[in-house]
Amino acid sequence: MNLRYTVKELYYQRRRAMVAAFGLSIGIALLIILNALSIAYRQAAQIPLKEIGADITVQRAGDVPQELSGAVFPCSAVTLKKDELEKVGSLPGIKGMGRALLLWVFDPERAWVVLGIERENSIGPAVLRYSVADGRFLEAEKSEALVEVAYARQFGIKLGDSLSISGREFPVVGLVDASRATKIAVANVYLPLKDAEALAVASKQLQSVSPYAAGDVNLVFIKADQDQIASLSPAMKKILGEKAAVATPDSFLKLLGSLFALSDKFTLAASLIAIVVAILIAFKTMAGNIAERAREIGVLKAVGWTNRNVVFQLIGEAVAQCLIAGILGLCLAIVVSFGLSFMNVSIPIPWEMSPTPHFLPGGGDQIFKTLRLPVTVPWSLAVFAVLLSVVIGGMTGGLLGRHIAKIKPSEVLRHD
Amino acid sequence: MINSGILSGVDLRKSYGSLEVLKGVSLAVDPGEFVCLVGKSGCGKTTLLSLLSGLEKPTQGRVSLDGKEITSSSEDELALFRRENVGFIFQSFNLIPTLSAWENVALPLFPMKIPQEQQRQRAMEMLEKLELGHRTGHLPSALSGGEKQRVAIARALVNRPKIIFADEPTGNLDSATGEAIMSILRRLNDEDGVAILMVTHEADLAKQADRLVRMKDGEIVA
Repeated sequence: MNLRYTVKELYYQRRRAMVAAFGLSIGIALLIILNALSIAYRQAAQIPLKEIGADITVQRAGDVPQELSGAVFPCSAVTLKKDELEKVGSLPGIKGMGRALLLWVFDPERAWVVLGIERENSIGPAVLRYSVADGRFLEAEKSEALVEVAYARQFGIKLGDSLSISGREFPVVGLVDASRATKIAVANVYLPLKDAEALAVASKQLQSVSPYAAGDVNLVFIKADQDQIASLSPAMKKILGEKAAVATPDSFLKLLGSLFALSDKFTLAASLIAIVVAILIAFKTMAGNIAERAREIGVLKAVGWTNRNVVFQLIGEAVAQCLIAGILGLCLAIVVSFGLSFMNVSIPIPWEMSPTPHFLPGGGDQIFKTLRLPVTVPWSLAVFAVLLSVVIGGMTGGLLGRHIAKIKPSEVLRHD
Repeated sequence: MINSGILSGVDLRKSYGSLEVLKGVSLAVDPGEFVCLVGKSGCGKTTLLSLLSGLEKPTQGRVSLDGKEITSSSEDELALFRRENVGFIFQSFNLIPTLSAWENVALPLFPMKIPQEQQRQRAMEMLEKLELGHRTGHLPSALSGGEKQRVAIARALVNRPKIIFADEPTGNLDSATGEAIMSILRRLNDEDGVAILMVTHEADLAKQADRLVRMKDGEIVA
């Protein structure tokens, strides 16, 4: 391939070269945008769990307590036994585990949603340490409470107040804005896990519905190998039974309801259609351009260019054209992706994952995690798209070149 | 006699379907000889030129160029052979419109493993020789008909061929320019000793050749 000839051909025939490149660039841009959207939805679906430091949450549905008094388990989160969790923890792919105990506490004066948390564990609700709006986080070996900011405001609870929960006193040491942290396992009051366990052990009502012993919990947060998340879900269900509810990023992806979120196949099919249409446009335009150059090809062959020389020259031109198309398409996709990144998505959080009694204010409301769709063009996608463009150029140039190189110079040069 | 020389075609026949264009033509060109093929339109001059230069294969007969039998060579072998031994001049110049004058001249050298600067140098020398040193960077669209044909001649010479095939090289030029082009060909033939086989139907120009070959109805008549 002669680079000078290629550059000159593209420069002086820039209008027709740009027409071919433009068609392909639209296809490349569509391919990038569709895949960037798909990736963005996947990333968005990970956020509710990531915000609580986990990749998977596990709980188990149970019976509704007959009487709502004292501490009870929500029906969506009953006992997960200590020995069951040890088995879960030993599954391959599990990197860490956080535990929590969610209770509905019905005291004569007030109903609370109480969450017992592992203070030191970075996996699970202890991430709230970064969302303390006033006061401080829980300290070791102390029976104290954090109160959710909105709940504190509603009931006039202040730092230093003492909360009486099922007859036990907890000083309020901090106000946390859980809405900044997570929408999963949101409670009104956060206690050290051992204090929540004590409330559960002491509750006859709770024990009658779901036998409970210290060390058991009803919410588990798991950090896992990304590649093994899909296979861990059935393995956990095998250990915990069919009533176990295992939430993964895929669960949220399905809740998003977007075509991109619902199906990889949709993205793949749409990308393929976009690229096939673009290839056809590019092929047709290039075929027209090359056919117009039959006489020129005849001259090249007459002056001693072999078929191989001609084919390589045409491949070089097509590759250069398609490289330009790929870069144009990438630039277009980056601009569009930037625009799309201002789009908000609302991920519905199932009631079961953050259960609040329906009869409490806001208890029946659907909770959403609203966030900006994180649309970006990853380097790998950008490089793939540009390389794909170059490959399309190579193949198109090769096919057309092989065809046109067969012409006989005497046929095209005969009629001067 | 027919088999000697830089170029020889023996008993060449060419048919397109039932139409027989050449009917057993034999022709030889000696090294450094300037031969003109003359005859009316459609008599088979261009076809004979195509067969002798290896652009086309005969239906029957043999062609030898510089002692090499080319009739049975593959298309690529013929292309390589033309690249090293043959130059072409066409009636309508056939310059590449996107390449400058010197690049058009260097076109046969592009696929060769010759450094680009050397290719440029050789093309420039040819253009200087044809008094086009001041037009080397111009596109064909900026050149006159005579200049275009001189660029085409430079292109035909750049690979230092043993023979040049010229098909109506003055056909698209006015008579004065045609005369000038003919003078250049004559000079190249005299000074460089390159053999020329030229097709023309202009009798006055043909007279300047060393030998005149007349064709009629697919046969050589004189």
